[in-house]
Amino acid sequence: MSTLTRLTPLAVLLIVVVALVAPDPGPTAGAGKLSLWRLKTYIPPADKILDANAQECAKKAGMELAIQTYTFDDMWTKYTAAIESKTLPDIAELDAVGPARLANLGRLSDMSDVVGGVTKELGPILANAEGAVKFGGKYYAVPHYGIPLVLFYRKDILEKIGAEPPDTWEAIQQISQKVKQAGIHDFPNGFPWNRTGDGYDPAMSLLWSYGAAWVDKSGKFTGIPKGPAVQALKVVTSAYLVDKTAAFDYLSWSGSTNNESFMAGKITFTPNGPSILFQEESNKHPLQKDTAIKLMPKGPAGRNLALTFVMNWGVPVDGKQQKEAKAVVGCIMSRTQWMKYMTGSFQQAVPLFARPLDDPYWNTPNGKTIVETVKLGHPVGWPGPTTPAAAEVVSSNVLTDMITQVIVDKVTPEAAVDEANKRIKEIYDRLPVK
Amino acid sequence: MLTDRHREQLLGYTMIAPVAIFLAALVAYPFLSAIYLSLTEKIVGYPAHFVGLRNYANLLDSGRFRIVAWNSAVFTVASIAVKLVIGMAMALALHQVVRGNQFIRGILLLPWIIPTVVIALTWKWLLDLFRGLVNVTLIDVGVVKSGVHWLGDPSLAMLSVVMANIWRGFPFFGVSFLAALQTVPQELYDAADVDGAGSWQKFWRITLPSIKSVVAVVTLLSTIVTLNDFNIVFIMTRGGPGAATHIFATYSYELGIMSQRWGVAMAASMASLPLVALLIVGVVRYLHREEE
Repeated sequence: MSTLTRLTPLAVLLIVVVALVAPDPGPTAGAGKLSLWRLKTYIPPADKILDANAQECAKKAGMELAIQTYTFDDMWTKYTAAIESKTLPDIAELDAVGPARLANLGRLSDMSDVVGGVTKELGPILANAEGAVKFGGKYYAVPHYGIPLVLFYRKDILEKIGAEPPDTWEAIQQISQKVKQAGIHDFPNGFPWNRTGDGYDPAMSLLWSYGAAWVDKSGKFTGIPKGPAVQALKVVTSAYLVDKTAAFDYLSWSGSTNNESFMAGKITFTPNGPSILFQEESNKHPLQKDTAIKLMPKGPAGRNLALTFVMNWGVPVDGKQQKEAKAVVGCIMSRTQWMKYMTGSFQQAVPLFARPLDDPYWNTPNGKTIVETVKLGHPVGWPGPTTPAAAEVVSSNVLTDMITQVIVDKVTPEAAVDEANKRIKEIYDRLPVK
Repeated sequence: MLTDRHREQLLGYTMIAPVAIFLAALVAYPFLSAIYLSLTEKIVGYPAHFVGLRNYANLLDSGRFRIVAWNSAVFTVASIAVKLVIGMAMALALHQVVRGNQFIRGILLLPWIIPTVVIALTWKWLLDLFRGLVNVTLIDVGVVKSGVHWLGDPSLAMLSVVMANIWRGFPFFGVSFLAALQTVPQELYDAADVDGAGSWQKFWRITLPSIKSVVAVVTLLSTIVTLNDFNIVFIMTRGGPGAATHIFATYSYELGIMSQRWGVAMAASMASLPLVALLIVGVVRYLHREEE
C-alpha cells in the first residue's frame, strides 16, 4: 500500500472534523427564521403565555421563531459570549442595564418607531422606565415589564406583638427586635445584602431613601455623600452587629433562599418580587393567609425605590431581519397580547406603559402595592439615566460590598463609604458618561 | 526525489499533525489568548488595547484582590491537606479489606462521580441555618441551642466550602493511592516483619516511598483543580459573606462576566499561574529524578 493510500482515511477524517467544528452560520442565516432570548421567570404559567404570544406574533410576521431562555444568574454569561462572537439573537429580552450596555456598544437598533406604536395602544411610557432605554433622544429598547421588589412581612406575627407594618428602615429594626424578644424568630430581619438582586436592589433603595446617590441628574459621578450614607449604613448594619436580629448567613443567600426561608416560617421580613405570592397560592401554602406585602421603606429623603428588575425588548444589529424582529416585538407589546400576558402573570409582570396600570386587574390590595412600587421606582443610576458605569456599580456589587464590609470586616461605616467611592470613581473614570 | 528516510519522516509528521493541530487549537490557543488578554484593557464588545502589566499591577494594589488571593490559598491548601490524609487513610483501609473490596470502593467513589453542582447544592442545604440537617441534628441532640452559622460566619463559611470540596475530592486521592499501593511488592513488608518493623515504620519506610510519585502527581492535579474551583463556592456562598470566601474563580467571574472587564478578569485568573507552573516544574523534575 502506498503512503498516499494509507493517508486517505486520515484525510477523510480531517475533512469530517473540520466540517464538524466549522462555525455555526448563526440564528438568522436561514430565511424566515428568528431567534428570541428571554428570561425564565419564577412564574412558569406566565412564561408559557409569553412564548405562545411570541410564536403567534412570529407567525403573523411570516417567520419561524426559536426561543431560548436564561435565568438572572446566567443571563450575562450568555450575552457576553454572544456580544463577542457577534451572535446576539434577533430579539433580546434585556435586564435593566442591558440596553445601556448594548446601546453604548452600538449593538442595538433604534426602536423609537416601535415604542411609538406601543404607546398608541398602551399609553405613554412611564418616565422612570425611560431612563433605562432612552439614550441621546432615541429608544434602544421597548420596556417589557417590571418586577417590583416589595417588603414581605408576616402580618400574624406583627399582630401578635402589636406592631403596625413598618414604613421606615428604623421601624423594621425596631419591630425585628420585638419579634426576637418575644421569642418568635431568632433572626426575623431577612434583608440579605448579598450578591443577588435581593441584595443590590434594596441597597439602592436604602441609600437613595437617605439621599445618598452617587451621581447627579446628568448621570455624572459626584460620590456617595458620606453623612447620609453613614446614617443609612448604621441603621441596617445594627441588625447584624448590635441587635442581632439578622443572621450572617443571610449575606450568603442565593436569589431563592429568602423565598424559602420566608415560606418556611423562619423570618418575619424579606424583600422580594411578587413570586412568593404565586408560590404560596399555587401550593396552597399554610402561610398564605399570614403573608402580606408593603412598599419598601422610606428614609429621611423620601421613598426613593429602585426599579432594578426591569425587562426590555431590544433588537440587536447583528440580526439580518430587523424589520421582522421589530414587528414581532411590536406585536408582543400590542394591547391584546400584552393583556393576555399581564393577566396571566400572577401580578409579577407590571406594565411600564401607563394605560394597563389602570386596569381593574390591579385593583386588589396586593395589586395596588405592586403598581405603586413600580410607579415610585427609579432606574439604576438614579437620579441620572442608566449608564454603563451605573450598570457596573451594580454588577460589581460595590453597594452591597460597602454594607458587608461594615458587617463582616468590621470596617467603620465612614471607611466603607470611602472605599465604595474609590471603586465607583474608578468605574466612572473608566466608563465616562457621555 | 525523496529518500526512504525523508518519506518516513514526512509520514511521521503527517501522523502527528492532527494531534498537534488539536492541541494547538484546544490548549495552546486559548491559553496564549488568555495570557494576551490579561495584558490588555479588554472590555466585552470593544477591541483589546495592550497595556502591558498594568492589570497585574492594579490587582496587586487592590485590597480586594489580596483578600481573594489569601482566600484561594486557604481554600486550596486546607482542601488538599485534608484530602491527602483522608485519601491515604481510605487507600490503606481498602488495601486491607479482602471481602467486598470492589463494592466499598464503588461506594467511596460516589462523591467523585456526582456532579459538582449537586454536591454544592446538597451541602448548602445540609448547612442551612434553619432547615439544614446538620443544624437540626445538633439542636435535637442538644449540642447547640440555636443553629450554627455555617455559611454566615466568615471562618465557618470558609470551613464549609472546604468541607464540601474535600468530600467531593477525597475519592480521587483514595483510589489513586490504592492503585499505587497494589504495586508495592509484598516481599518488602515480609522482610520488614522479619526485621520487627511496626506498622508506622512500614508506612514511613516502605509504603510512602514506594508510592510517592503517585502522591506527587495526584496532589499536583488536585491542587490545579481546587485552585480553579468555581461551582462549590459560587453555589454555596457566592463568595460571601462579604468577601470571606471569594476566590480566584468567583472573582474572575465577577470581573469578567458581571462587570464585562475581560482583561483584568484574565489577569486575576492568571495570577496563580506562576505558582502552579512552579509546582508543575517541581513535580516533573522530581519524577524525572525518580525515574533515573
